[in-house]
Amino acid sequence: VNPTTTEGRLSDTFAALANPTRRAILARLSKGEANIGELAEPFNVSLPAISKHIKVLEQARLIERGQRAQYRPCTLDPAGLEDVANWADQYRHVWEGRFDRMDDYLSTLESKKRQEQ
Amino acid sequence: MTNDTATKDVEIERTIDAPIELVWRMWTDPDHFKEWYGPDGATVHIERMDVRVGGTRHFAMEMATPGGIREMWFIGEYLEVEEPNRLVYSEAMSDGSGSILSATTEVTVELKSVGESTRIVMTHAGVPADSPGAQGWNVALDKLATRAETQS
Repeated sequence: VNPTTTEGRLSDTFAALANPTRRAILARLSKGEANIGELAEPFNVSLPAISKHIKVLEQARLIERGQRAQYRPCTLDPAGLEDVANWADQYRHVWEGRFDRMDDYLSTLESKKRQEQ
Repeated sequence: MTNDTATKDVEIERTIDAPIELVWRMWTDPDHFKEWYGPDGATVHIERMDVRVGGTRHFAMEMATPGGIREMWFIGEYLEVEEPNRLVYSEAMSDGSGSILSATTEVTVELKSVGESTRIVMTHAGVPADSPGAQGWNVALDKLATRAETQS
């Protein structure tokens, strides 16, 4: 999947959201910033496992991490969410294109049938 | 379903100049389906199209890119099959072996005869309300969407 296209980014975003732990992390961050230790607390998983989830969410542009050396709190990143919010608009274009092609294909079938008769 | 999903559904209504039986086959016959479903320049390769409730739908779109042929696989299950009026299936991105790589979406196709033509009402829902985890997703997304809106 190509992350430079909207379609590719959207796939990353949906893949990142397709996990209950990661959604819970996002729900927690919607209440305010938190560091990895705080995010790991409610779950029965190791810090490295939480770090992996954080990395996936970061790559999907769903969260951002602060730059302070020791304490790098996680916050929500609206960029990935906008892609999800725009999901319907993007798919509308995809489907409109499909129906146009269905029309064209049906016309081709019809003219073939006429030629055969 | 619109109120139960975090993302907006895509709903498209079209009247197609063909009888309902033929339009039904556009969706359910692999030979017809592959002629219109993929984007321009793409080849649709159908691995499985087992059109019955619980049957598998697994296919790839192959596109030529400067970096070579790019394959995008999709997998899903037929949830409702009422020939020739109603077809509901789930869809997620997958790999060639059928392992799911993304969230599952749901497509509903409703067909109705109107004289010689057929009216199609197609709904593509971002997150099926009854899918596992949908509730947690919705709660998280609702909060996030509110936040994104207030920030943008």
